[in-house]
Amino acid sequence: MSQSLRPYLNAVRYSLQAALNLSNFSSQDIERHNRPEVEVVNNSAEILLQPMHIARNEHEQVLIETSVNSVRMSIKIKQADEIEQILVYRFTRFLEQRAESFYILRRVPIQGYSISFLITHRHTETMITEKLIDFIIEFMEEVDKEISEIKLFLNARARFVAEAYLGEFVY
Amino acid sequence: MSDWRRIDIDAFDPESGRLTKEDLQPPAVKPITLQELQPRIAQLRSCATSGDFVRGVKLATIDPPYGSDNDTKLQYFLAVLELLTQVRQADIAGVVQQLDQSQQEVLIKYLYKGMSLAEGQKQGGVLLSWFEKVTQKSGVNPISRFLSDRRTI
Repeated sequence: MSQSLRPYLNAVRYSLQAALNLSNFSSQDIERHNRPEVEVVNNSAEILLQPMHIARNEHEQVLIETSVNSVRMSIKIKQADEIEQILVYRFTRFLEQRAESFYILRRVPIQGYSISFLITHRHTETMITEKLIDFIIEFMEEVDKEISEIKLFLNARARFVAEAYLGEFVY
Repeated sequence: MSDWRRIDIDAFDPESGRLTKEDLQPPAVKPITLQELQPRIAQLRSCATSGDFVRGVKLATIDPPYGSDNDTKLQYFLAVLELLTQVRQADIAGVVQQLDQSQQEVLIKYLYKGMSLAEGQKQGGVLLSWFEKVTQKSGVNPISRFLSDRRTI
């Protein structure tokens, strides 16, 4: 792991450890509802806690929003050029369309971020919280590698296609 | 009024028991204006230029301007950010060692605030190494206290 990535992931890990301390909490406004309070318009300020921003630079950020029974965590993945923008969009969209099998993945990322997770008290009750955090950290580690790998493959393929196609015109 | 069924009538009831952000602020916080803060900002700047970082960071974290408006807080924060980014990578651990629990708590608040602003995001690496040193010293504790503290800087 590179020298500057480690403090970033450590900060995310500690912030998630502090935030993932959730309890079952029924809605105060609507009877017999139990909804993730971070997702709904809240009339009571005491339910939401301070949001946490963690930034490595302008292009790589994490936002963790905490409430009494749910945590929403959004990641901005590094996008250096237009190809990476398209790749990140496609990649996260591929995952989000299969959000059911990922349990904690949110179907739509929040404004300005590439991918969002929504963790509720149900998830921390049925899964091991430490493992959940490990999964998210591993995801953040892998996704950068994955994107740059896809970019390399894409370039190699484009070069091959261009050579095969333009080779026709060489006399 | 076509949409009268959707009116939130509880919002008009003073005894509904709903709390707003202002209700959650502890009452003891007294507002400080920018004029009153100016000497402290100057002190922070002089600490940053003279290299007296331990005194500077202690000064910044001992009595933050909780009660001020956002503009004043930003001015004060920029001075603190300047101080934090001047400290050399190797000296950060030494400075953090000399802070007590409440000072570390305030430092964490500055770090999170810094990373949420464009000015701080440019210095993300420095802020993250401060963050790492604080968590190495006291683990997850200052972060949990940051989460539930309603006073912002």
